[in-house]
Amino acid sequence: MKRVLSLFALAVLSVGMVCAGGNQETSQTEKPVKEIYFWHAFGDAARSQWIEDRADEFNAGHPGYKVVVEAKGSYRDTLQAAILADKQGSAPHLVQVFEVGSQLAYDSGIFMPVGEIGSFDTSDYIKPVLNYYTINDTVNSIPFNSSSPVLYINKDKIVEAGYPADYVPATFSDVIKLLETAKAKGVEGAKFSMCLHGWYFEQWMSEQNAMLVNNGNGRDARATETNLNSPAGMKIGNFMAELAKNDLYTYSGKFEDWNGSDAIFEEGKAMIHITSTADLGNISKAVEGKFKLGVGFIPIPDGATRNGTVIGGASVWVTKNHPEDELTAARDFVLFMTNTENMVSWHKLTGYYPVRNSSVEALKQEGWFDSDANQIVAFNQLLQTKSNKASAGALAGTLTDNRTIIETSLQKILQGADVKSALDEAKILSDTKLKEYNANF
Amino acid sequence: MNIFDQGENAVFKGTWKAALFLLPTILILTVFLYFPAWHSLVMSFFRNNLFLGTHTFIGLENYRNLFTGPLAPAFLQSLIQTLLISLLIVFIGISASIFLAIQANKKIKGGTVYRMLLIWPFALSPAVAGTIFLFIFNPEVGIMNTLLDFLFSVKPRWLDSPLLALTLVVFAAVWKYLGYNIVFYLAALQNIPTEPLEAADIDGAGAWRKFFNVLYPLLSPTTFFLVFTNISYAFFETFGLIDILTSGGPVGPPNVLDKTGITTTLMYKVFQDGFGGSSNMGFAAAESVILTIMVGIVAYFQFSSMGKGIHYQG
Amino acid sequence: MNKRKKDPVWVHLVLIAAVILVCFPIVFALIKSTQNTEQVLSPSMGIGTSFLHNFKRAFLDYKLWIYMKNSLVISFYVTIGKIILSFLAAFSLVYFKFRGKKIIFIFIIVTLMMPTEVLILGLFNLIANQPAASFLQWASWFFNPVKLLFHPIAYGFGWSNTNLAIIVPFLASATGVFLFIQHFNSVPRSLVDSSRIDGTGPIGFIFHILIPMSWNTIGALALIQFVYVWNQYLWPRVIVRYDANQVVQVGMNKIISIGDSVAWGEVMAGAIIAMIPPLIIFSLLYHAFMKGYALSSNK
Repeated sequence: MKRVLSLFALAVLSVGMVCAGGNQETSQTEKPVKEIYFWHAFGDAARSQWIEDRADEFNAGHPGYKVVVEAKGSYRDTLQAAILADKQGSAPHLVQVFEVGSQLAYDSGIFMPVGEIGSFDTSDYIKPVLNYYTINDTVNSIPFNSSSPVLYINKDKIVEAGYPADYVPATFSDVIKLLETAKAKGVEGAKFSMCLHGWYFEQWMSEQNAMLVNNGNGRDARATETNLNSPAGMKIGNFMAELAKNDLYTYSGKFEDWNGSDAIFEEGKAMIHITSTADLGNISKAVEGKFKLGVGFIPIPDGATRNGTVIGGASVWVTKNHPEDELTAARDFVLFMTNTENMVSWHKLTGYYPVRNSSVEALKQEGWFDSDANQIVAFNQLLQTKSNKASAGALAGTLTDNRTIIETSLQKILQGADVKSALDEAKILSDTKLKEYNANF
Repeated sequence: MNIFDQGENAVFKGTWKAALFLLPTILILTVFLYFPAWHSLVMSFFRNNLFLGTHTFIGLENYRNLFTGPLAPAFLQSLIQTLLISLLIVFIGISASIFLAIQANKKIKGGTVYRMLLIWPFALSPAVAGTIFLFIFNPEVGIMNTLLDFLFSVKPRWLDSPLLALTLVVFAAVWKYLGYNIVFYLAALQNIPTEPLEAADIDGAGAWRKFFNVLYPLLSPTTFFLVFTNISYAFFETFGLIDILTSGGPVGPPNVLDKTGITTTLMYKVFQDGFGGSSNMGFAAAESVILTIMVGIVAYFQFSSMGKGIHYQG
Repeated sequence: MNKRKKDPVWVHLVLIAAVILVCFPIVFALIKSTQNTEQVLSPSMGIGTSFLHNFKRAFLDYKLWIYMKNSLVISFYVTIGKIILSFLAAFSLVYFKFRGKKIIFIFIIVTLMMPTEVLILGLFNLIANQPAASFLQWASWFFNPVKLLFHPIAYGFGWSNTNLAIIVPFLASATGVFLFIQHFNSVPRSLVDSSRIDGTGPIGFIFHILIPMSWNTIGALALIQFVYVWNQYLWPRVIVRYDANQVVQVGMNKIISIGDSVAWGEVMAGAIIAMIPPLIIFSLLYHAFMKGYALSSNK
């Protein structure tokens, strides 16, 4: 009897298991309206809520369509998920793609240029930003969350070093001189603390109006070679070498450790720091009461004429294979989400740039910049960026690999390796990766 | 396989019943493990990119790129590092856990408390464990260096000095798996009969002799099992920890191990190449094939060297 | 082992040192989970007052409770499934007479070298691809060696985003088979013989003798498998598409977003909460499998 019962229990369990799978299917059963899916990478409550609120507003004004928003994890996860979904015939209409994934997104073939969905006005978007996302003269995606690097300054330590409180080092040698002077004066934390990230290398190439990759930074034709060991690249490498030689640079030791380096600056172990403008709010809050915070343009290599920075962040792409009306609705949602007032509120919430000229105007009008002088610096740096291929940013499928390779070689340089050989080696590796990628076509 | 030395236990007849009992397991393993593994093997002969959806046959080119060409030194370095790191993890992990399990098993006051407290880290996920360690070991503001600076005025560069980073990763990996090992050893220790030890005491054997001649052999089935699972853990599951803690780690000493990070194990490299960067899945698949072969070789050595020494009771 | 001399001091010292080393990170996480955003990045180890806030944010706002619920259900099914399947398989290998045992054993054990991480792409295609529209279509692919060779996974199960996807592939356990075989081989031969003499078949033997003797191994296996499934990250991340079905570790990672302004206090609070179920299971099963064999007949 016991045996029978036990076997019965087993059977029930197995049946239950199979049914469990069925019952837990997704909740998308009825489709009275057309659903437009938007996949993004903001896992935190604040930003995802903001996006959902915009979706709700849009839905209210567009009966017959429902924008459904979902956070999918990191940027990579989101793009991978979208591609895999497309393979199964159910790609989301809108996908947020990180900036250096642009070539990958373009090459994946699952997206269509948003500029081909009817016609709409893009003149209000800030030019260098839109340039990044323009491929072959068509606007491919709409910039959504954008940021640039700025210099964060511990004003108290600047004064301690004997400089005027609003001093901002403009060139690499200014930085070195500042830190050396501070060190000599015994200022604690006389160091520079950006995290070790390939992004900064890309920025400094742009500031020198130098191309990261060939073929017009990958925009005239598919890139086939990188320029890591060009004279422009060498200047960056030499800077890092000099910082390391004189013990003026500090970081947590791990690549791309944004938080680690922020913490170092906030705790006063460094006096100047470079990170994204989007972190201005958090850093200001964190150092309140500890020291006075200043912000400036990032320092550039000596001898260069300031060309401007490359926009960072992400944009929203539209996938193919949807009915015409859904595409239009999707495009309208993106344009709505990035319209003047919404970009203003996005900026206030997150610190990302409102990438529309009208939004910047609106902010100026309401005196947003008067209360916090630090904010306007980042804006000015972007608005003063020249519009050319260097500042439009590089377009290549292996930019993420590139960053790791750059970080590895910079770390070697920090540990004392010869700059030229480290960068030469980096170039060989990144060219190989690029060749490997291009072999797919 | 001497697992079946006890062939005498095979008392039941009825091959169809035996087949029935085995069927679910074999079915699941074939469909969900062997089949995808085969898929990976096939993929290693293709140029396959996750984002672009390419799938072109290129024969042995991926393997050629692994052993010759500009990408080879990084791969070979990773191979060596994987062996080194894994051997360290297994050896240190097993030794530490046998030792701690024996101590915790003694009938001392608070024994149960010690036992429970030593085991819990394996309930922590590798990613979270890595995050906590990252916090603690930040060279500027982490608690470890604050303490060391206060006591000894040193602030070791845990994350970018190759030796320290390697030590940290091995330590974190051993730490995380300690509980798993100790749990098994404790269970084994509590189930071994007391007579052999008492006999050894009567003979007047000292602690070391008791351990080597009596305790260790009695624990050998458990050790055998744990060495195998520790090897698997060290080769494969440490990925999460390494990803968070060092992202593959600082580059090693110049001209020796500087082609790639020092804590880049093969598993991490598979991920880096296959799911990171431009997702060259075919290349990563080739690496994972080599990785599996390597594990197979290590396992073969383990089975043949340790398999003979297993003692069963009963 | 039954020496009752005074506990040697060095044993205590060693154990205390080990416990400190082992438990420090958790104490650290606990303390950090009580701190607010400013304190949390600094080396301060003072106990803050934000625990409730961090806890609420992690558990409710970030929906950790949904993920934990999902993980519990899945861990439960997988654990039970693994125990049953591996028990039966090990039983078959040890207690039945037939040829080919060695091959089957190797077949099973080799899968220990095929962790999910290595199989992920193939597994994804297998699970997510749509099943063939008709048996004929499937058969024409399956029985065609060329197609099978070059496109091993043209058709799948179509289980994307279902619980089946996270349960079924993990129902078999080589670890479990291994463990049970070791255990069965330690069971006194006399018990097996006596059952044969009695004339009880294999099923009777299992239920009346073997299972009562195997609770400690079952407990150990249950604990390990529960924790393994609970800590799964990669596979659910890839195959589960909607938040409502997501599991705990992936959900936890959503609290750690991409790099700008992570609320570490909340992350630590989430980590602590996520650790609680495995710890509960652990304390429940600890006693079950620490107690010795049920029988100690001819010892």
